[in-house]
Amino acid sequence: MNSHNSAGEELDFLCLVALNAMLPLSNERTLQAAFYILRGRKANQTLQDVHLYSLYPYYRMFPRFTKEGWDKIVSTLLQKGFIRTVTRDEQTKKSTFWVTQAGKDFAEKESDRFQLNFWLAPFSQSDMAERLGLFWLRLHLIVQTVSHLLAGELGFVPIVSDKRTQRWARTQLHDQVSRVMWRDQLEEELFELLYPLPIEAQELIVSQLSGAAQVGKTLEQIARQRKETPSYLQLPFRYGLAACILRLQQESECFPLLSRLVIETHKFDSRLTDSAAKTYQLIQRGLGKAEVAIRRNIKESTVEDHLVEMALRCPEWDYSDYLSEELGDHIVQTSEQLQTSRLRMIKDQLDDTVSYLQIRLALARRQGEKVK
Amino acid sequence: MSDLLHNTLSKHFGHSAFRPGQEKMISQVMSGRNVLGLLATGGGKSVTYQLPALLLPGITIVVSPLISLMIDQVQQLRARNKIPAAYVNSSLDPAESRELLQEIATGAYKLLYVSPEKLQQPYVQSVLKRVRVSLIAIDEAHCLSQWGHDFRTDYLRLPDVIKHVGNPPVLAVTATATKAVRDEICDLLHIEAEDVVAQPLNRANIALDLAEVQDEGERRGKVVELMNSLQGPGIVYCSTRQAVDVLTATYQLEGSRRVHGYHGGMNSMERMLIQQQFLSGDLDIIVATNAFGMGIDKPDIRFVIHYQLPASMEAYAQEIGRVGRNGEPGYALLFSSKEDVHIHQHMLDREYPTQLQVQQFCQLLSKGIAITSEVLAAVDLSEEMAGMLSFYAEKAGYISKPGTAMPYDQEKALHIWQDTQVRKRQKHQKLFGMLDYVQNNQCLRRSLNHYFEEAEYSFTLQCCVHCGLDRVAYVGDIPQKQEKKDEKPWNLRQALQTLLPKR
Repeated sequence: MNSHNSAGEELDFLCLVALNAMLPLSNERTLQAAFYILRGRKANQTLQDVHLYSLYPYYRMFPRFTKEGWDKIVSTLLQKGFIRTVTRDEQTKKSTFWVTQAGKDFAEKESDRFQLNFWLAPFSQSDMAERLGLFWLRLHLIVQTVSHLLAGELGFVPIVSDKRTQRWARTQLHDQVSRVMWRDQLEEELFELLYPLPIEAQELIVSQLSGAAQVGKTLEQIARQRKETPSYLQLPFRYGLAACILRLQQESECFPLLSRLVIETHKFDSRLTDSAAKTYQLIQRGLGKAEVAIRRNIKESTVEDHLVEMALRCPEWDYSDYLSEELGDHIVQTSEQLQTSRLRMIKDQLDDTVSYLQIRLALARRQGEKVK
Repeated sequence: MSDLLHNTLSKHFGHSAFRPGQEKMISQVMSGRNVLGLLATGGGKSVTYQLPALLLPGITIVVSPLISLMIDQVQQLRARNKIPAAYVNSSLDPAESRELLQEIATGAYKLLYVSPEKLQQPYVQSVLKRVRVSLIAIDEAHCLSQWGHDFRTDYLRLPDVIKHVGNPPVLAVTATATKAVRDEICDLLHIEAEDVVAQPLNRANIALDLAEVQDEGERRGKVVELMNSLQGPGIVYCSTRQAVDVLTATYQLEGSRRVHGYHGGMNSMERMLIQQQFLSGDLDIIVATNAFGMGIDKPDIRFVIHYQLPASMEAYAQEIGRVGRNGEPGYALLFSSKEDVHIHQHMLDREYPTQLQVQQFCQLLSKGIAITSEVLAAVDLSEEMAGMLSFYAEKAGYISKPGTAMPYDQEKALHIWQDTQVRKRQKHQKLFGMLDYVQNNQCLRRSLNHYFEEAEYSFTLQCCVHCGLDRVAYVGDIPQKQEKKDEKPWNLRQALQTLLPKR
């Protein structure tokens, strides 16, 4: 294998993914916004972009992207004429971008070649990326532990060092009855779960697992062995995990053991980030946003981010202290007339008294209803 | 006494004989003396406190900085040796800690592993004060010494803690320590000179070699060639992550052995997988930064190559000490070039603060604002540096209460900066010690042992490059480039049964 070629293929594939993530953001957001989405930044602005533009499959697709790697992708896309940048605001030097016809053609053709739509189909839920990580850690640790249990070896080094996952596994195997169940039934349940997946996905998941008789391979090692680009292999791998999660949710009664992997136990309010959930508790007790900021020792702007998150995910929240029904409708209409979700453009059309927070709340509420 | 020790050794640990130094350390400790034991890594340090723990009436506390090592040892103690053991460290949540400490108070455990920072907590201390502590063992005791290469601030308060729990006997153990470090440990822990049990540092089965190179291309070419030809398994140590990545990528294209990189920039799961693959023989060579090796025990490692000059003789001795623990002939080769020193100097410059950075940090403290990562980023300070500065600030009495401002104290800020400069100079001196080893033309075995003030230079197969060395003795069979032949069709059932065999 020629290193130049494989590095080239890797870059081509990353360019394709980046371009797909950029398409809906065209003329609306900065290039940076696409970077944050692919890297899975936890900031509220990024999470809202993911919702607004339905970019769920791309969120945290490449958590280990570096700024340098990203710059290389952007310069390649510019050089190939797939995207163009435009400076929107001379003062702030804020620039947006658009995807050219050549870029759109390339994205369409290459997406077909890599079956992108197929591999990304299970990512219709907003929090899938986060759940994927947790599910994989639990699966890895429980398989390794049960494998050593079967081999009668109690002293082993767990590959997963995450403490919460270790605690979870310990609880699972705490009493004799559960331990016997895991020992005797895990293999069969795992077979049932993985069997319907494409072979590619089955193989990727199982070869990365560790046990008494096998040390798992890294995705990079599998890619080298198969002469594929590591980033491409993320697709079938993530597809496999996401498909497993969806099935375990829908058919939990068929998987008495493995369905436990998708139950989250540590969340305050599973719809929100932990921090936003804490804010929500205080808001429900009747505190204003300034009071919440003081009480929690965080910035008021952070509390505002939490409010937007709540508007998006918690339909029962009464936001009328911050935004009236009429103003909300008016903002949404303005956004639709202008065909944009860019806050600045919407604000320019509206009365000076309308705040950015109000615009964000209105857009978030609209999106929240769409998702429902 | 000797019979009792031997019986316990064979009954609980399954060994028929003590390794050098172990018995003397154990009997001194059993007679109530404070002891410092210097045993090579892999020389069986843990038995020297685990065995007394079984025989002594109360509980034995083991202070260790390595959480993974703690967990590993406790699991082994419970499973294999049937010794009631537990650990308290940051991996437990507060409720679990409290529950465990209550069990400890009832005397349910013989051995308790504690991280040094947990031991500072008043609640932990009060529980330990109530139970009878028969022995405190301090693992990696060189971390106590400010002269050591791995000084840890949370070790500094250990002498106070020992006093606080009723002055039980202390057993300090470490693998490498210079005379200055030993003296400091003995002074801090009140250990008499006759209670220092040292195993010679000299590793007779390891041959020591040096190679000077002019440029990067020559270096890489030679190392790649050796990685192909030397008898493995082996480790190649590099000074930077980037060097690890470049060498690994080069080798994976040109070389014929199974090789993987390892450094702190990889995620923890990848690192664990790679480490386990190496331990189980799925990989022949690891290319790594110094992040690799602490706490792993692989007895059949046959060579260590240093791609660049290490930062200190202590680090070098520890890293080559991983070779040939099973007694087979081992080979250690150190590559160096003129630029290597500059890499280290550059790293030291980045690691230690400038006077301006110290001032900025103290001003932050004076304002009484919480030190968050955003605040640090605004003044361009890394979190590691902030951690170091917090420690020296506390030592200098520059302590702020969050929310309350206080006047900026220029004198104390200067004092803090000087403290960090002293540490930086010490590290520079360590680097010069390393440079001296490479440049003088004396027997390497003598210089290495001389640095640690030891006078044992025997060797079994070959000594060193200056005494005459034939590298051919360490060349292995040249492996054929392994083309992947396992083109067996995928079988999910089979794959799962390898992982989870039917009983």
